[in-house]
Amino acid sequence: MQELALTMAADCIDAQEPEFARLVKRAKAGDTAAFEAILVRYERQVLLTALRLLNRNLEDAKDAAQQVFLRLHRSLGQLDESRHFASWLYRITVNVCRDVQRARARRPTAPLEEAGEPAVSESVEETLRKREQMRMIYAALATLPERERAAIALRDLEGLETKEVARILGCSEVTVRSQISNGRVKIRNFVKRRQKGVS
Amino acid sequence: MSCAEYELLIALYVEGDLPAGEADAIEAHLESCHRCREVAAELGESQAALKALRADSVENQVFQDIRREVLRRLPATRATVVWPKYAIAATLVMALFAGWLWHLRPAASLPAASLEVRPIAPLISAPPVAPARAQQAVASLPRLRKHHRHTVPAFKSEPLLVKMLTDDPQVVIYWLIDQNGG
Repeated sequence: MQELALTMAADCIDAQEPEFARLVKRAKAGDTAAFEAILVRYERQVLLTALRLLNRNLEDAKDAAQQVFLRLHRSLGQLDESRHFASWLYRITVNVCRDVQRARARRPTAPLEEAGEPAVSESVEETLRKREQMRMIYAALATLPERERAAIALRDLEGLETKEVARILGCSEVTVRSQISNGRVKIRNFVKRRQKGVS
Repeated sequence: MSCAEYELLIALYVEGDLPAGEADAIEAHLESCHRCREVAAELGESQAALKALRADSVENQVFQDIRREVLRRLPATRATVVWPKYAIAATLVMALFAGWLWHLRPAASLPAASLEVRPIAPLISAPPVAPARAQQAVASLPRLRKHHRHTVPAFKSEPLLVKMLTDDPQVVIYWLIDQNGG
């Protein structure tokens, strides 16, 4: 198992980076190895975002990630190298996850599949507590409307600035602030209800 | 402003998402409102739990599966989407090239035209002649022209082979040009 830290927005490699721009150019010319290098660079960002948007359903997230990269490959010709590549990929991921989620809503709900476990370098009790907390937060996220969940995932989990989130979701910063605020309050209420239910 | 309204702003305040002015107002309210202080503390806890998901992990095998599947599905995607672009571009290039060759075609007959001009030069530099002789000379002109038309050498050469390379190494365009204008 590999511990995967989240790719933070500040660390995202921009398409304006010369080396990356060359990679994109080669991929555009049909160089599969160059495309694979792009895939490797961004697969964590795409899969982890998909997992958060799709209630940690691994099969759906894998399916979404594949669709994102296939869509990226089809769009390489139209890709504007001056645009922020990571943001563009986030936008595709959000859109694909929305489609996957709608398709899932039309079929019977499968039990939530585990995508993995937190790194085990602590006591069993601590590991179990963290696992339970993670399940609870994923369950809380699942109760949020689609747009609020996307805003929370991008702002609080991916660590993007509100401005960037607004650009990705195609709405105003005021709207994103409202979605984030509502989402956080709902998560807090969900957690509070669960904790009351347990105690 | 009611505490319920403050709650939405506190949700932004706990993560530093409020401008300085608004944050100061929230802090002032928190100092005086016990209920909102509790809300702020609870939001702090739920946010910490939420951000713990940042350390979420996925088995490396999952990434390998995605990579393999995406790369497996690539050729079909390229064949249906990218290839027509090359085909259209190649056709356009060929059409432009053909147009250019057609445009150049009259220029290839220039040597024949200059051959026809040549006999006129001696006529200009010739000394004045009697009207009768001049008429004779004019009468002989058509014959001269006719004669020169026959003496224009046929423009014979081997066909010209043009090899055009495209971005796609699998697409090479060969263009066979008949230099006789055929």
